[in-house]
Amino acid sequence: MAKDDTMDLARVNERAFGWSQGLSRLTLIRAALLLLIAAFALTTPGFLSVPSLTALLTNLSFVGCISIGMTFITLSGNVMSFALGATAAVAAVVFVNVLNLAGYPAAVLAALFSGALITAVQGALIGGVRANPIIVSIAANVLIYGCAEWLTNNETVHIAAPMLALPLQGKLAGLPVEFIVFLAATIVAQFVLSLTIFGRNLFYIGSGLPAAEAVGLPTIRTATTAYFWAGLFSSVAGILLASRFVQANMEFALHYDYDAIAAVLVGGTAIQGGSGSALRTFIGVVAISVIQVLLLLYGLREEWRLFITGLIVLVVIVLYSNRQRN
Amino acid sequence: MLNVRHLSVTFGRVQALRDVSLSLEQGEVRAVCGENGAGKSTLMKTLIGVVKPQGGLIEIDGKPCSISGPQAAQGIGIALVAQELSLAPHLSVLDNIWLGNRTVGLFHRKREYRVRANAALEQLNADFDLDRPVSNLTIGQRQIVEIARLLVREARILILDEPTATLSDVEIERAMAALRRLKAAGKSVLYVTHRLGEVFDICDSVTVLRNGEDVGSALVSQIDRQQLIEMMLGRSFREMYPEAPVLPASQQGLKVQGLNVPGAVQELSFSVPRGRITCIAGQVGAGAGMVTRALAGLVPNATGQVVLDGKELPLGSVRARMKRNVTFVSEDRAGEGIFRRPVLENLVAARIGEHSTAGMLSWPRLLRRAGELCAEVKVDVRRLKANAFDLSGGNQQKLLFARALGGTEPGVLLVNEPCRGVDVGARAEIYRLLREFCRMGYALLVVSSDLEEVAGISDRVITLFRGSYVACYEHGEIDIARILADITHPIGARAA
Repeated sequence: MAKDDTMDLARVNERAFGWSQGLSRLTLIRAALLLLIAAFALTTPGFLSVPSLTALLTNLSFVGCISIGMTFITLSGNVMSFALGATAAVAAVVFVNVLNLAGYPAAVLAALFSGALITAVQGALIGGVRANPIIVSIAANVLIYGCAEWLTNNETVHIAAPMLALPLQGKLAGLPVEFIVFLAATIVAQFVLSLTIFGRNLFYIGSGLPAAEAVGLPTIRTATTAYFWAGLFSSVAGILLASRFVQANMEFALHYDYDAIAAVLVGGTAIQGGSGSALRTFIGVVAISVIQVLLLLYGLREEWRLFITGLIVLVVIVLYSNRQRN
Repeated sequence: MLNVRHLSVTFGRVQALRDVSLSLEQGEVRAVCGENGAGKSTLMKTLIGVVKPQGGLIEIDGKPCSISGPQAAQGIGIALVAQELSLAPHLSVLDNIWLGNRTVGLFHRKREYRVRANAALEQLNADFDLDRPVSNLTIGQRQIVEIARLLVREARILILDEPTATLSDVEIERAMAALRRLKAAGKSVLYVTHRLGEVFDICDSVTVLRNGEDVGSALVSQIDRQQLIEMMLGRSFREMYPEAPVLPASQQGLKVQGLNVPGAVQELSFSVPRGRITCIAGQVGAGAGMVTRALAGLVPNATGQVVLDGKELPLGSVRARMKRNVTFVSEDRAGEGIFRRPVLENLVAARIGEHSTAGMLSWPRLLRRAGELCAEVKVDVRRLKANAFDLSGGNQQKLLFARALGGTEPGVLLVNEPCRGVDVGARAEIYRLLREFCRMGYALLVVSSDLEEVAGISDRVITLFRGSYVACYEHGEIDIARILADITHPIGARAA
């Protein structure tokens, strides 16, 4: 009897102090915004055409794969990485070089491996010595571009036999192949997050690292694995970019990190970690990309894209912190 | 001086306060008691203008007034010392006392301000060096600085929200002394507390809230403990501490030899038999909490030999400890215990591997297991999907205990401050749960700075002073006065 009382009281408190209320309000705001964007998009002349939609779905897939990778990092409680764009570029360059030397399967494996290795090392550093994740990613970003310049002189590498790029070009069942790959990446990521022990550990370390340590969860391994997946999905973006342009250079995926974190946050993954999903990120990617396309359709220049992306991140963070404070 | 009449507050459809009345005279200390969620915090927030009342009246000196916010409250002399202190640790005592004071111009280090700050501290019987950084002070001393800050703001009505929740007994005594001086100086105090001892110690009157309702007010001299507890719970209070089960003394259990934690614990040896509750009593900072942390594998530089049921348990490894089913329950539930995840995931956090195959989770099995655990520790199974952070302190604590259940053999529970931030009603349940673990053959090591609790629950008490062993008492020789003497100034303990 009294037990029920205290539980009811806790519920009263929840409502009284706006926790769950704030949560649902935020969800409502997000849903309303999505509807607004959809309505806006559907009434914009030129949006609902096959070429326009194809371009949209193709382009959002590159950032999309990186956003899926970013989701792992955000969930792990390490906010974001500034080095995923660079990782994608490395993967693209590796892909093209290996493709010219050793064929398709080897190229894909090499690209995935190089990207995942780059980020996994960062993850081990962050998990192992509690290095600040943002600083580590900035350092990694600079290191990657530095090494790349030293090793490749920042030259563009071309796929020697353009036929080889074909598997990841064109359309499948009416959808751009890039989009299908992004969709598959989302499903794989969601599967890993929802159904594996690693996925659960990721949510645990993201929502309470000291608590995770106190129950003996493998915190370092989990952080490393999270970064491993982040690198892997970023590499997928790199492979897609290289296939699309039949070449690769280190300029690829520049600034994708910002779009990716915007997509993750707009999708509703918590900036402080421990709550979110790949499906949410998928929705976030689509929303952000539609906004950007609309800006272009309304004749706003490219600078606006960055401006709007930054603004969206700020708004989401402010909305979120509001909820936390109450 | 302060009169609250028929106050009511609603949030949406939820009535957080209903028809609450109380009065406060000059020089009166009034306790405000109630279980967690009874509406104490809402009442306090209403008084400093953070929450707007929908009905009722607040009168100051007989005149009704509406308090629009903390600034306005400061203007009329009402001030709140919150549970989480709001001092800037790197600034000096003087800086902190004048921080945010609206009467100060550009320079607060002038002589006049030093004199006034000193006077305020004097009033509290404290003589800190004004230039000492606050980070050098103990939590109790910081509280005094916080109160001094309110005094220089000329607060007449002080609201203290569970000021002693994080203090050791000695510090509590000092805080009480400071309160008595405030009272003598004619300040009025609203004192929110969970500790009934304090109500009878220093308060003149008490108002009890339950479910947001005003259960009643009484003069402390006219009620006893039992009545007060009944008012808070709304039911008769049978017994807080369950009977200790009579189990044969067992050789099995945890044996600790020469435990050392640099700067905290020296050469501590003791044993924790199965089926019993062994308490380590010590003041906050005496290293008692460090003992359990070290055994939990969370202190890297701890040394010593630990043997569980005849087999060595390596120090410094959480995973080795978890393998032997040794569970640690931290005093810092929010920081080190609960995940900001659903109740379900909190329950199974330590044993997720047992409910999965080849790295893949089995949600049906996890769900079933979590349901069983809920039933065992008596948490409403309908809350499995709720975020554990939204549960009451008592329910959160139960989740942490539930993590110890399972495994092939009974394990060991290392618990720091089992009832910190847990209300009276849930306390009794936590104690029953501890006994339940005894019955299952667990060995329990509990660290507590609440001596009443130590005396109430333990079968064996080890007293600690500045990280060193003082004495060990078996069932029957446990006595609060002796424990208190041991942990404050152990005569002869140093020599022995």
